[in-house]
Amino acid sequence: MLTKVIKIKPDKPEILEIHCHSVSDEVKEIVAFVKSRQGQLTGTSDERQYEISVTDIFYIESVDNKGFIYTKDKVYETRQKLYELEEILRKKNFLRISKSMLLNLMKVDSIKPSVNGRFTAVLYSGEQVVISRKYVPDLKKALKGDG
Amino acid sequence: MTIKEFILMRVQLFFFLVTMILAASFFVGITVAPEQELYYQDLISPIIMAGLCILPTCVTYFKKEPTIKQYVFRLVLQLGLIEGILLTVLTPPSDTDKLVFYITIGVIIFVIYVIAVCIFWFQKYRQSQKLTQQLKNFQINGSK
Repeated sequence: MLTKVIKIKPDKPEILEIHCHSVSDEVKEIVAFVKSRQGQLTGTSDERQYEISVTDIFYIESVDNKGFIYTKDKVYETRQKLYELEEILRKKNFLRISKSMLLNLMKVDSIKPSVNGRFTAVLYSGEQVVISRKYVPDLKKALKGDG
Repeated sequence: MTIKEFILMRVQLFFFLVTMILAASFFVGITVAPEQELYYQDLISPIIMAGLCILPTCVTYFKKEPTIKQYVFRLVLQLGLIEGILLTVLTPPSDTDKLVFYITIGVIIFVIYVIAVCIFWFQKYRQSQKLTQQLKNFQINGSK
């Protein structure tokens, strides 16, 4: 695919256009990546594609190499890998809290101790997710503003 | 925590305990039995005692995150080890019923262990409250 970057005047709107023969998986991935940079993630639910605002996401989980985006009342599947999303969402208050989960810190109501020496994050949706011991220092760092 | 870090922490704790046992032996000895004579073989006892103290803590190492069941199992195992070691090492005074002595010591160890676990949990609780407060400030005052 030929790539072209054209500089435009500041008064004109920025547009990214993809001219392709067919909307392949590769094209979908590129579109999803660009949207994620703009604060939106692409997810599928019931074989339909949705644009999910990052601010609506509670957490993102990877299960059996598949990514799932959890909002207040819906779950979407995403094609993007967890490490890619971590990189994209780092500046959007998301934090890795276990090997397979990214948590939106803005959606956490409280943190409580768990029986097995770990911490549990209670979300505004009432759901509870476990924070692995390994990631607790990162959480502390992020909350102090060093993240 | 890697196994290397875990072992390093145990070694640090071991030497700390040896020092503390020596200091305690000195102060208790000089207060209670200043006339008591010690021999070369007595010098090894702080090392043995510290080693015995460290042994039960070794079962708390987890390579992977433990489940609640695994965690509870390890706690029970640790308590069992502490009970086993102390009941083996301690000898009842000659004028005491052996069974009563061992039961009493066993119960005391159990109570102390439960208190220690509760203190540990309370520390975690305080830490979680602090984290929640920091989280609220983070959410109000702004983000990264």
